[in-house]
Amino acid sequence: MNETVRLEQLFDAFATLADTLVAGYDVLDLLQLLVENCHDLLDVDSAGILLENAAGRLEVVASTSEANTLVEMMQLDADAGPCLECFHTRAIVSVPDIDVDSFRWPNFCATALAQGIHSVYAIPLRLRETTIGTLNLMRNERGELNQRDIRAAQALADVATIGILQERAIRDASTLRDQLQHALSSRIIIEQAKGVVAETANVSIEAAFALIREHARSNQTALRLVAQQLVTRDLRF
Amino acid sequence: MSNDSFQVAAEALTHSAGKISELARPFVRFLPVSGASVSTFGSFLGAETISATDARAGRVDELQFDLGEGPCWDAVLNRRPVLEPDLSAGSSASWPAFLKAIQHEDIGAIFAFPLLFGPLEIGAVDLYSVAPVSLSLEQQRQTLALTAIVSRILLRHAIFDDDAPGETTTFSRRVIHQATGMVLAQLGTTAEDAHLIIRARAFAESRSMLDVAQDIIERRIRFTALPDSAEGNS
Repeated sequence: MNETVRLEQLFDAFATLADTLVAGYDVLDLLQLLVENCHDLLDVDSAGILLENAAGRLEVVASTSEANTLVEMMQLDADAGPCLECFHTRAIVSVPDIDVDSFRWPNFCATALAQGIHSVYAIPLRLRETTIGTLNLMRNERGELNQRDIRAAQALADVATIGILQERAIRDASTLRDQLQHALSSRIIIEQAKGVVAETANVSIEAAFALIREHARSNQTALRLVAQQLVTRDLRF
Repeated sequence: MSNDSFQVAAEALTHSAGKISELARPFVRFLPVSGASVSTFGSFLGAETISATDARAGRVDELQFDLGEGPCWDAVLNRRPVLEPDLSAGSSASWPAFLKAIQHEDIGAIFAFPLLFGPLEIGAVDLYSVAPVSLSLEQQRQTLALTAIVSRILLRHAIFDDDAPGETTTFSRRVIHQATGMVLAQLGTTAEDAHLIIRARAFAESRSMLDVAQDIIERRIRFTALPDSAEGNS
């Protein structure tokens, strides 16, 4: 990618993230935008975000591909894998060759390799003492992610984290944990909506999510609201 | 009969979830009948009288189980109410053994409403009156509304007594939610009912909900909307 074009796209990504952080925004939409930015701008094949739920465990809240296989792999990662280590150590965890580390996290590594993923990067979503989750970048190639992309990913993650924590400061009636749990709970309705569209449009679960996201974006509506209307059948496509 | 007594009956049912032995009573509160019974049978749950307002209502149920014929069987088979407002006038129904068995029970009218939940057969509500009596269209409609509540209560009761553990991983929940979406679109129900139907299917087949959900997503299982019970034109 041409360096000037890339820089411009990165600026655009920050501008869009910043635009999203208006009053009353939906955390889920912000995180979905973040993973898509990472996928479009960085040398990675897929990206996902895990947040800590009310029970203190990491849970997938957004991903570039909504294929169940990818989500399952990230969830294994959350139980024993680089993203859990990243969350606990609050530092970037790089796994440039999953084969080499497969003895550490056998379940996660086997599932990742089965999908052709060979290297992983986990970046903490943190601001000072508070860590709320991790951003995971996955590549089909072996090797370290280049420094430029790491810095860009960390910067994007920081903006999103600050956005989330600041939003909490604004409406401090709800605790951070409530708010993150709310984003995770929104997943229920989004998963149901994916099923509805998979059935009515006769497409895969993954394609169904793409349709829902497209609709939300072109109508500038929160994903959660579109999903809600699909589940109650007030919206059909 | 006024709408108020129907409302009271519906309220009573909705709040009786814990005591299924009381499920029959609300029907006699708003309908011009002498007794009622609620029973489970069919392809899904075992044959059992769950609730009866009096001994005669219980016997009417038992007789139908023993003989394998009667209004409650027809109601479920045809997925619509069976209405016999005047047994003395000669019944159009074909239950010779059942009619013979109840001839000394002093029953003038008998009605059976199927208990269904989506594609599942739960059982039936039997209603009898000592004197011949007709149910108005409004009363039939209200009875159908109550049977829908009863079906849900019985289904929940059967399933949640047998709560399968170990199905609460984050990933399996996700797949189950997706399957719930597909089923609600297939059947035109709410998400809550679709979830219950998946759960019931897993229960009936002694499988995990995740297994059933995977089959739904991969389109190996498909639920088909069945016609609702016909209202008042039996």
